[in-house]
Amino acid sequence: MINIADLLKQPRLPGNYFASDAYVRGDLELGLLENRRGDRLLALPETLIQAIYIGLEQETGQASRLVLFNCGRWWGKNFYVRFCEEVSEYYDQPVSEMEMVQFLQCLQQCWKTHGWGTFELDPRYSEHGFLIVKIANSLFAKTAPKSKRPACFLEAGILSSFFSQLTGRELHCLQTSCESLGSECNRFILGLRDRLQPADSLVEEGKDHEAILSELFSKN
Amino acid sequence: MHPEIEALLDQAENRFLKGEELIAFKRQAATLAQRLKIYEFLREKEASIFQPVADKLQETFPDEKQETLERSLKHWVLVLRYCSMAMLLNDRNFLEQRFLDWLSGIVEAHQTQKIEATVCNLLQTRLKELLSEQARSILQPFFDQAQPIIDQGKK
Repeated sequence: MINIADLLKQPRLPGNYFASDAYVRGDLELGLLENRRGDRLLALPETLIQAIYIGLEQETGQASRLVLFNCGRWWGKNFYVRFCEEVSEYYDQPVSEMEMVQFLQCLQQCWKTHGWGTFELDPRYSEHGFLIVKIANSLFAKTAPKSKRPACFLEAGILSSFFSQLTGRELHCLQTSCESLGSECNRFILGLRDRLQPADSLVEEGKDHEAILSELFSKN
Repeated sequence: MHPEIEALLDQAENRFLKGEELIAFKRQAATLAQRLKIYEFLREKEASIFQPVADKLQETFPDEKQETLERSLKHWVLVLRYCSMAMLLNDRNFLEQRFLDWLSGIVEAHQTQKIEATVCNLLQTRLKELLSEQARSILQPFFDQAQPIIDQGKK
């Protein structure tokens, strides 16, 4: 028999930690934007992101993709640590013991609340060793310089680092569709580097997401 | 918080409130006492509201794992708490911003819409038994906002 009094014994039932109106706070006197834990947040102007893209392109040319990817890796590494700290503190359980459903729901909400767009994980191909992430309304895609290939190298770096730490395997990440090229969302494939490597030339050739996936499956 | 009162304060940023604005303010202040009363009642009676719901839920799903039923019950404990706060603040966006999107995703992933719908119906019945017609008319619009949690599965 379910005893409601026992269920209600917990001093609080955790809800949505990343709810935007509860998560983003500010200390106007000190000029600070903070999250609900008191960690500093920073709002970046769109023009600064554009300037970073343009500056990198001018200074490093094609290498700017790699620079952005590596910046994303650093960002993702720290983001993962902070995310896990916050989530495990609020839900009062280590991330390793958390249900995957709840973990992903938190990640989606976190992504949205930080203004990075909407995030969706498609685990349908996990048996083949690939994870698909879909991100829509990304500022990083919107402000990217016009190019013939997907442009969100920063996000690819974040995802690669975040999911590498989550799964304990070194995962690479490749973007296969991009809002900057007119797609409805940005799609990323995550997988082991040597298995994902063949897809790089397919992206370069301008193949679409589905075609890249089916070629990957046939090669693996 | 209290969007109507906030809107009045915004409008009267550098002037006194007009007559009709003052009436609107007074109306808000008057209903606040009622809202507080309902909120206190729901807070005090939480366990006795939910125990019969839990009993009937187990009767309806005798083969379901207790853990699953408890999870859905906790969802609706939270729904009622958030609805009560939304009612107290008279803020129609509160439930959606704070909770609905998050819970809908969790329910969809667990595929427990049928259980959630049953808890929702049992809870509605329980609230009908305990609250006066007037109190229910104040709470109900906020409670109705939780419907998408169940509708997710019908898509």
